[in-house]
Amino acid sequence: MSLLRAWLAGLPAYLWSGWGAVASLLLLLAAWEGASAHYGALILPDPASTFATLHRLIDSGAAWPELAVTARRALAGLALAVATGSLLGLAAGVSMTASMMSRPLVTVLLGTPPIAWLVLAMLWFGADDGTPVFTVFIACFPIVFVGALQGARTLDHHLKDMARVFRLPLAMKLFDLYLPHVVSYLFPAWITALGTSWKVVVMAELLSSADGVGAALAVSRSHLDTAATLAWIGAVVGLLLLVEYLLLEPVKRDVERWREVGHEPA
Amino acid sequence: MLSATLHRICPPSDSGHPLWLCGFRPFFLFAALSAPLFIGLWIAFLAFGLPLPAVAGGPFVWHAHELIFGVALAAVAGFALTAIPEFTVTPAFGQAATRRLAALWLAGRIAFWSSGLLGAPVLAVSAAAHLGLLGSLAWLLAPRLRRDPERRHLAFLWALAALAACVAGFYAETFLDAHPGANPARWLHAALGVLMMLIVVAMSRISMRIVNAALEERAADPATGVTTNIEYRARPPRRNLAIFCIGLTTLAELVAPGARIGGWLALAAAAALLNLLNDWHVGRALFRRWPLILYGVYVLMAAGYALMGAALVLDGGFFSAGRHLAAVGAMGLAIYAVLCIAGRMHCGLPLDERPWVPIGAWLIVAGTLLRAATALPGAPAALLALSGLLWSAAFAIYAWRMAPLFLASRADGGSGCEGILIH
Repeated sequence: MSLLRAWLAGLPAYLWSGWGAVASLLLLLAAWEGASAHYGALILPDPASTFATLHRLIDSGAAWPELAVTARRALAGLALAVATGSLLGLAAGVSMTASMMSRPLVTVLLGTPPIAWLVLAMLWFGADDGTPVFTVFIACFPIVFVGALQGARTLDHHLKDMARVFRLPLAMKLFDLYLPHVVSYLFPAWITALGTSWKVVVMAELLSSADGVGAALAVSRSHLDTAATLAWIGAVVGLLLLVEYLLLEPVKRDVERWREVGHEPA
Repeated sequence: MLSATLHRICPPSDSGHPLWLCGFRPFFLFAALSAPLFIGLWIAFLAFGLPLPAVAGGPFVWHAHELIFGVALAAVAGFALTAIPEFTVTPAFGQAATRRLAALWLAGRIAFWSSGLLGAPVLAVSAAAHLGLLGSLAWLLAPRLRRDPERRHLAFLWALAALAACVAGFYAETFLDAHPGANPARWLHAALGVLMMLIVVAMSRISMRIVNAALEERAADPATGVTTNIEYRARPPRRNLAIFCIGLTTLAELVAPGARIGGWLALAAAAALLNLLNDWHVGRALFRRWPLILYGVYVLMAAGYALMGAALVLDGGFFSAGRHLAAVGAMGLAIYAVLCIAGRMHCGLPLDERPWVPIGAWLIVAGTLLRAATALPGAPAALLALSGLLWSAAFAIYAWRMAPLFLASRADGGSGCEGILIH
């Protein structure tokens, strides 16, 4: 609740501070325009015609169903990864032995390219939803796992001792001591995982599915339709930017501010 | 309070009319008198067909050249001659230098106005007068700006150099008029871009004082119940991003006028200017007259670039409206603010709290909005004349209120540019 209140109170200033990001993005569009003028519309259509194509896709109703399918797969994989990654990561963080044992495994998971998992997933799950969902899960799981592990490992022992000495009730220990600390590590990991899931799902769809944004990209590629390709990319990146900067980043700042303040006296 | 630290070493006191006591006096007077005069002539031309001085490039070039290299350059010269010695804690410039520079400014007006009648040699004189004015300013200021240990104010020197480049480009292309592809007007637009950057640089210095004074005043007033002391700081990263974006926009327009890439850059400049206002959101103190006027400069500048950018990206017909929001609005208001603030303080007087100051500012804003509104379909022709009239009125009021100060000796015993003296 307090998180929500802080989020609402800081919203106008936060939104206004977004002008700097808008300026950077507009500079990117200017560079895009310049490159398009240099290389020609076949290689790189200019931003205006890309946005016009995107507008047409949205207007014709073609965009939302594909985006919805993609979002469903990404979020399903992400939810699985967040649930299992957080739980297992916290569990591993509580025990020194478990965290020691799990680190090399995480390295293996992080080091395996998602495309390799995708090939395996295609063999295991075929052409249905299972392939992209599994690929997203396996790509996001180690990120969340490491975040949770670190959150649990870095709990301040002095605070733990103090809680024991003062005989804090379990609920208080959980919600005022452990949870804020752990969340300050978990939340950024979740956001990173969200970005990863969004990227990986498009890749998985491109190679394995008949619907979703990735499949639409594959179609526009086979038609050599650069404008439509860029329009789909614009839709995916735009949605991610909106979710991340309007929803998650303010909460993340709030969560991390707690961590910074907590570490200051040390 | 505000100017407790402004007590400066008195300049070598040479005798002469009080007008020459400090650089800002003649130049602010030039700016305040020429602004209504030049706009008046322009309206008379548009509304009644009264002829303007014939110059190469025609009436539009005369209009832009005179408002940029006449009015704005006078304000820049007055500001630089007064503020740079203050910023660098060095003595003011002598009266002889001020007289020379003022003569160059007047020579520039006379030569340019008669260049259509008397031909290329006089046009060359005009070029020499303008380059001479900017060159002398740079010559006078450069040693002080470079001697400053941190060289914090070197940006002013770059701005003068860029303005000189614009003057050189303008006159070079005017001489090449018959040459295909010659487009002298683009150098005037580039000069406007340079002036926008100069405004951002100069306002960051002025606003630190003005906004913090408003904050202190508010904190000192027991009625407001303000206890926490917020401090305003003009942060360099945001300012530099804005200057960078305006610079790119200006460059794009100079190289490829009307290209869409310039539109995106102008939109980026607008966003960067709005981003700059993050520093300014300090609560109610912002609504005091001085901070609000300076805030308005950025708002109008952002609106101008946004409109110019949108016009280029969407192929709209309102590019000129955007340009005038920046030129008439942001530049007009910035000049007015600087004239009001520096004009009073360096006469040894506290800021003017009489109602004519905000009235003038609102006249400029109203004139600007009307000028932008002329781009709307079906706008009556009289709107343009009314817009010019309102805008000119602000500077006429200023001249009426401030000229007596500039033409008289200082009442506080000061003998030059120094701020309010503490006895």
